[in-house]
Amino acid sequence: MLNINNLSAKIENKQILNGLNLDIKAGEIHAIMGPNGSGKSTLANVLSGKKGYKISGNIKYQNKDLFKLDIEERAHKGLFLAFQYPLEIPGVNTSNFLKTSLNAIRKSNGKKELDALEFLKIVKKKVTELKIDEKILNRQLNVGFSGGEKKKNEILQMSLFEPKMVILDETDSGLDIDALKIVANGVNTLRDKDRSFLIITHYQRLLEYIKPDFVHVLMEGKIAKTGCSELALELEKAGYAKI
Amino acid sequence: MIEELKNTFKSFNEKFSKKNTIAKTRADNFEKFVQLGFPSKNLEDWKFSDFNKIILNKFKNININLDQQNKFKFNKYIKEFEHNKIVFLNGFYNDHSFEYENEEKIIFDNLKNGPAYKEHGDNSLNLLNNAFFTDGLLLYVKKGYQCKKPLVIYNVFNTKNNNNFFNQKIIINVEENSKLDIVVYSINLNSVPIFINTSNFFLVEKKGLLKLFRINELGNKDLNYNFSQANVMENGIFENFILSCSSAFFKNEIKCTLQENHSSGFINGAILAHENLHHEIKANIEHIGQNTKSYQKIKSVLSKNSKAIFQGKIYVGSNAQKTNGYQLSKAILLDHDSEFDSKPELEIYADDVKCSHGSTSGSLDEDAIFYLMSRGLNRFDSKNLLIKGFLADAIKTITNEEIKKHFLNELVKKINELR
Repeated sequence: MLNINNLSAKIENKQILNGLNLDIKAGEIHAIMGPNGSGKSTLANVLSGKKGYKISGNIKYQNKDLFKLDIEERAHKGLFLAFQYPLEIPGVNTSNFLKTSLNAIRKSNGKKELDALEFLKIVKKKVTELKIDEKILNRQLNVGFSGGEKKKNEILQMSLFEPKMVILDETDSGLDIDALKIVANGVNTLRDKDRSFLIITHYQRLLEYIKPDFVHVLMEGKIAKTGCSELALELEKAGYAKI
Repeated sequence: MIEELKNTFKSFNEKFSKKNTIAKTRADNFEKFVQLGFPSKNLEDWKFSDFNKIILNKFKNININLDQQNKFKFNKYIKEFEHNKIVFLNGFYNDHSFEYENEEKIIFDNLKNGPAYKEHGDNSLNLLNNAFFTDGLLLYVKKGYQCKKPLVIYNVFNTKNNNNFFNQKIIINVEENSKLDIVVYSINLNSVPIFINTSNFFLVEKKGLLKLFRINELGNKDLNYNFSQANVMENGIFENFILSCSSAFFKNEIKCTLQENHSSGFINGAILAHENLHHEIKANIEHIGQNTKSYQKIKSVLSKNSKAIFQGKIYVGSNAQKTNGYQLSKAILLDHDSEFDSKPELEIYADDVKCSHGSTSGSLDEDAIFYLMSRGLNRFDSKNLLIKGFLADAIKTITNEEIKKHFLNELVKKINELR
């Protein structure tokens, strides 16, 4: 699904990623943990196409060169990033935004665009499944949302768009236990043999609800250690210093 | 240009003024205009819009239109909501229908035969309007009558010759406990550049409610100066919204006087200036009575060598205790060759008041664009969605739902035309 080969990224002459290698196969869930400033969010941003980084190395996504795809094309081809800090977009209705995005993705994949009624049916079903308050649909996108509501909205988008490769950037940070369950439930519902996840997190807590196949430790811009889910528990106890 | 205008005025006044007194008053106005000339940036009120330079740049000469073309029937009416209508064609009354109202409750007349308005103040474009105005609207909504549907004033231009200068007046009196919603829709159907100079007076009496919304479909060479004075009496409300997307130059200047206790004034607007447009909203709110309230929200989006200006003043007189005044201007510049100027002013002589103002300008948030693109929207659509959201926030201040929806639709059309 995703092969990252010797990836380096600089921003304003500061080296952030430094020869990172990672191979994610279809159906796998990978977790990345690491101390602050180790490059976790940069990795998420580079994968989803954010500008401003000086990049070397290569990334193959579904066996194609990811860097040849623009931001929206990556989304069209099933790459989804749940933001660490989802943006507030004043004046844009959440429901309209979701419909516009979903239709942009559907259109690029040669599917019929949904009309307002068809969309409403789908989104209401998702909202109910995820136990998210339906009221967020009629509010301005993320405006005045609590931290938890913003993250739930990201999960709602994820489950609507049904992406192939999901990157969760610290989606669990700042969530209470109920919201955390909603996030985990969203991921577990989508989990299947054709879909992969890259979960960036600080805490082992989320991984109690989402069982990863691999846990990686990111330090100084590269993978310092890889293990199974027990590695997360070790880190929780001993910290990163011993890696 | 002013020398030629003198000859134009002489023949106009001889032909048009039926009475000597009217001719004299018009001549007085014109004389004072000549002394002052077109406003230039030397005047504080015009420091961001050098009108003298603009008009000399865009027009070789200006000729007053006296052609009344009674045969032309305008038919591009707004279909989205039911409304009463008055049509002006090339500055002259053309047609009207108050089909949704009790016509006994509305007094309506045109201003073809006067009266004349004495020269007053030193706004030279108002003096020019007094000298040259050819027609207009005089409208009273009688005491206690609440109009059922909005009134749309279609201000249509289709001049084909070089009669390019139009002066109108709109005078509206909403009497005690009465209500009227108005949309003024100015449309230039031809490509001949025109200069429209309008002077309006509104009186909202006790517990009256006047909502006035303005939208233009003018050409990118047209000039439009629109001056309004609104006086609001006890518990009266004056609401004004300007959607400013067309004409090379548009200055909407409004003075709203909250004369009596518990009166309110709302002056809001959205400017979308694309490709060499120059738009200004100038609001001057005077709080005179006690417990008065004013609110101003202006949002602007500028691109391709456009310029927008917001000059907003809140004046609180010494008796105007418990005043609540709010003013906010926000602008987005889509490129480096556009300009936004803002001059917020507070002048307060009472001690128990709450007034606030804020003004920001900046570019579109690249992080927000990235967020939307990461959800599958292309860059163009992402930017448009952000612009739409930004300006819609101002349009949402409109308290008439049908008109709000219409203005939002019109805005979306304009944004989708951006390239």
